[in-house]
Amino acid sequence: MTLAYALRRLGMAVPTLLLVAIAVFALLRLVPGDPAQIMLGDAADPAQLQALRESMGLDLPWPVQFLRWLGAALRGDLGLSLANGQAVLPLILERFQVTAGIVLLAVALAALLAIPLGTLAAWKQNSALDLAVVGGATLLLSIPSFWLGLLMLLFFGLKLGWVPVVGYVGFSEDAAAALLYIALPVLTLALIETGVLTRMARAAAIDVLRLDYIAHARSKGLRESTVLRRHVLPNAFAPTLTLLGIVLGNLLGGIAVIETVFTLPGLGRLMVDGIYARDYPVVQGTMLFTATIYVLVNLLTDLLYPFFDPRVTAE
Amino acid sequence: MKTGVLLAALAATALAALPARAQSPAPPLRASLNSDIRGTQPGGNRDFNTDTVLMHVVEGLVALDERASPVPLLAEAVEIAEDGLSYRFTLRQGVTFHNGAPLTSAEVLWSLRRYLDPATQWRCLPDLNGSTGLARITALEAPDARTVVIRLEKPAALLLATLARPDCGGTGILHPDSVAADGNWKKPVGTGPYLLGEWRRGQYIELERFAGYAALPGPRNGFAGGKQALMPRLRFVVIPDSSAAKAALLAGNIDVMSDVAAAELQELRARPGIAVLAAPTMGMSGLLMQTRDPLLKDARIRRAIALSLDVPEMVAGIVGQDAPANPSPLPVASPYHDAAQARYPARDLAQARRLLAEAGYRGQPIRLVTTRRYPNVYDAALAAQGMAAEAGLRIELDVLDWATTLDRYSRGDYQMMSFIYSPRLDAALSYEMITGPKDTQPRKVWEEPQALALLQRAMSTTEAGERQRIFSALYSLFMQQVPMIVLFNQVDYAAVRQDVRGVQPWASGQLRLWNVARGG
Amino acid sequence: MRPRLNALLGGTLMLLVLSTATLSALWTPHNPLRIAMRSRLQPPSALHWLGTDEMGRDVLSRLMAGAGTSCLVAALTVLGAVVLGSGIGLLAGFARGMVDRLLMLVNDALLAFPGILLALGLLAVIGPGQWGIVAALGLAYTPTVARIVRGAVLSLREREFVEASFSIGNSAAYTLWRHVLPGTVSPLTVLATSLFGWAILAESALSFLGLGVPPPAPSWGNMLAAARPYLESATWLSLAPGACIALTLLGVNLLGDALRDHFDPRSRPQ
Repeated sequence: MTLAYALRRLGMAVPTLLLVAIAVFALLRLVPGDPAQIMLGDAADPAQLQALRESMGLDLPWPVQFLRWLGAALRGDLGLSLANGQAVLPLILERFQVTAGIVLLAVALAALLAIPLGTLAAWKQNSALDLAVVGGATLLLSIPSFWLGLLMLLFFGLKLGWVPVVGYVGFSEDAAAALLYIALPVLTLALIETGVLTRMARAAAIDVLRLDYIAHARSKGLRESTVLRRHVLPNAFAPTLTLLGIVLGNLLGGIAVIETVFTLPGLGRLMVDGIYARDYPVVQGTMLFTATIYVLVNLLTDLLYPFFDPRVTAE
Repeated sequence: MKTGVLLAALAATALAALPARAQSPAPPLRASLNSDIRGTQPGGNRDFNTDTVLMHVVEGLVALDERASPVPLLAEAVEIAEDGLSYRFTLRQGVTFHNGAPLTSAEVLWSLRRYLDPATQWRCLPDLNGSTGLARITALEAPDARTVVIRLEKPAALLLATLARPDCGGTGILHPDSVAADGNWKKPVGTGPYLLGEWRRGQYIELERFAGYAALPGPRNGFAGGKQALMPRLRFVVIPDSSAAKAALLAGNIDVMSDVAAAELQELRARPGIAVLAAPTMGMSGLLMQTRDPLLKDARIRRAIALSLDVPEMVAGIVGQDAPANPSPLPVASPYHDAAQARYPARDLAQARRLLAEAGYRGQPIRLVTTRRYPNVYDAALAAQGMAAEAGLRIELDVLDWATTLDRYSRGDYQMMSFIYSPRLDAALSYEMITGPKDTQPRKVWEEPQALALLQRAMSTTEAGERQRIFSALYSLFMQQVPMIVLFNQVDYAAVRQDVRGVQPWASGQLRLWNVARGG
Repeated sequence: MRPRLNALLGGTLMLLVLSTATLSALWTPHNPLRIAMRSRLQPPSALHWLGTDEMGRDVLSRLMAGAGTSCLVAALTVLGAVVLGSGIGLLAGFARGMVDRLLMLVNDALLAFPGILLALGLLAVIGPGQWGIVAALGLAYTPTVARIVRGAVLSLREREFVEASFSIGNSAAYTLWRHVLPGTVSPLTVLATSLFGWAILAESALSFLGLGVPPPAPSWGNMLAAARPYLESATWLSLAPGACIALTLLGVNLLGDALRDHFDPRSRPQ
């Protein structure tokens, strides 16, 4: 049943992704400036510009361009970057590894901090502890990420010299060095997401604490700490999981800011650079990829949800 | 509190990782680039940074010297025929390609033919096949192994200057091994002091010393002169964000920071252990005015705008003492930039107001397009807006991204635009870049027929006195009609760590890492 | 006790921000746009309480004017997203069936669409400026609103009083207006406060990427972005707008918490 549901959901995602593809394509063409112009710069001669546009296939009517791209994309070919001739799909996969590594680590770290903290705050609702947790969380999520990133860079990179300021090494090459390079971006992201997730976890835990079975558990004479650990914490996790999915989906496409501050070759920067360079195949490919990831992550969280649902474990 | 534990854990990992890294061989000299290179074909899919890297790898028959004039590099001598229709290059002896093969006229001929083949999509083809009117090559010949002859349809003053242009890849002479059997590009097998190493896209490009490099005697001179690969390896690190590049330099993660943004200068200069170097380039910043705009077609309004600006004050605010205000389209580094070119009416608000009243200007808003991509361009727009307001001019800013700005520029779609021109390395080209008919080339700013005629003469004569007279005439016409307000020539900034020697910014603005060493 | 404290603290902060924003339209200590290159990057003094920026402009005046810009952009963004999103959500939840599926399809596509391209594209089409940002962010937040409203409507539909309204012959439009819409007010109000905060943060991130409120008009976001190169030498330049953003977000979140508690009293029927 779960498999049928998953397949149905995936089927429903197809028109969504098509819509995204069309919108991205149209929007890119509406934005002034084109890749040929950028390549030739201020010295572009009209004839030269025309010739370059033709060689890039930009002189064809839009629908033709779109259908060609879509046809190739369906066969798994996202075309070549106009900026440097690289194949787009391998490029995206390579960059995605960087982004995914950082986002997953950061969100995991944030969840590890946030869920216990949020549950604790909910349990001691309206106490000084609660106030401190909520205040701290709110303050964390109120900080612009690039600002926090820059402060981190200045402090840990420059003042203390603990970590290198620029660069990136893949995990497969040298895991220790890789950790060194991504420590600051992960930390920055984790701190901010901790703010977001703590508040969510607290709200979810408050809801759970009101449910009858908690009262029931208490009335059975279970210790408060057991109630908290066995009943509240797991159940508060369920709604947080959905939000975690949303956070993850958003982050995977949207950490361009962090990647810029820390000079990481990730997906977000690929997209922003692509937008500025009007590298159509790269932007179209990245958008489609990001949207697909978003859909998949949401599907995954929905599928996992029943495992954590309070009503399931309450029985 | 948990965060603190975490930080300590990360720091411990970091420290544990350090000794392992210290054992690796001496790190390469690392310099920042603000964007990745686009390709490895000289003059192919390229931009400024691509040129910078490739000029370490390939060399042409001629190259720019420190003042951006063409001088022989792979050629020992260049003889120009009386009639200006043929150029005879005698090749240097003892030059070898990166693959060990000796340089002969055969490779030169092969390279030039390849560039002139439209399939190569060489950037400078239109300049040499007659499309742009600059020059038209009719024949290439190799009478013997050491001689190459280029024949032209008409005399062209700018043939050598064009061949030497970095955006043409310096017309770098390549060994046929650069191309695979099927005609596809492999990598540049040139004669430069460095050869291409690993290119990690989006991260860095490494160059390795070419042991068999045949250096010219004497000191470094532009892209020519004596070049020594002092460092065994160079690494161009891609760091798009200028604040991050600055932090990397201060932390010692890079040795040289190229293209330093003006905003970063103050903190860099204040740092002990960091040296900031500067030199004016041949690129130009200015405010364009659309002479076909209903309002700005009135030369009185254009002149009033020019008179409302205190250009020296403005330039001092933007680049400090690193570049003088320069009202002329000719760069200060140009040999034709004489005292006459520096004459400029001082700020005169009363006169500006008078001209505006005469022209019937009643506070209509004038839209000024600018971009944040180049901070100087934006600063100039902001300063102009403020200063012009004091003469009663109402300028409103449209801040656009670079691609959109470029699009507006090439379509002439603006009232005013704060713009930055890439370096033009010959005086005639400095005027060519702004002068032309707007019907066919809407990007041109100035469509005065008289100026076009003068320009044609400057393009075909090589006689210095004659050219100087032409440029003086052009300048006075330019100042009379004010199609644009030239502000200053961009400054090439480099910041280096104290132990780095030999970095010298110069007229072309391209970073050179030969004759550069670290430590010792 | 705590809800009151939340409301008090959050309310005070927001009142402060909003009154500053209003005041800035009438009066600022200096002209926030006035450039004085000779007195650039001055530390705080009696003349310039928060110092001057890289163009010699008074930071306090820009901060006040920036409150206006940032709050206006955020408020309009929220308004746009709430109006559009509620419309979609109400229609989808109430009509159900084909209409619902179609609307949710568009909604999901919009949700999966990274905001940066949306911003760049819309800014290019509409023209640069505050309106482009409002449109881009507004559109980016619309699907979130639509989803929440749709959810609320779907559950309200099944309630007795809605059934009753139909059974006594009220039209769908009337029922929607009279009985369903009021039920969405509480989740919407809470969401709107969050959106307001997100919009202020998003504008600052867009400014960092060069897509925010176009200068010279100050917004907290573009002030923060412009202060980046001077983080070390002129710390006040980044601290001032950074603190303003943080405090406003704090205020708005506390207010949101208080509203949640107000709408959602302890004894929620379950």
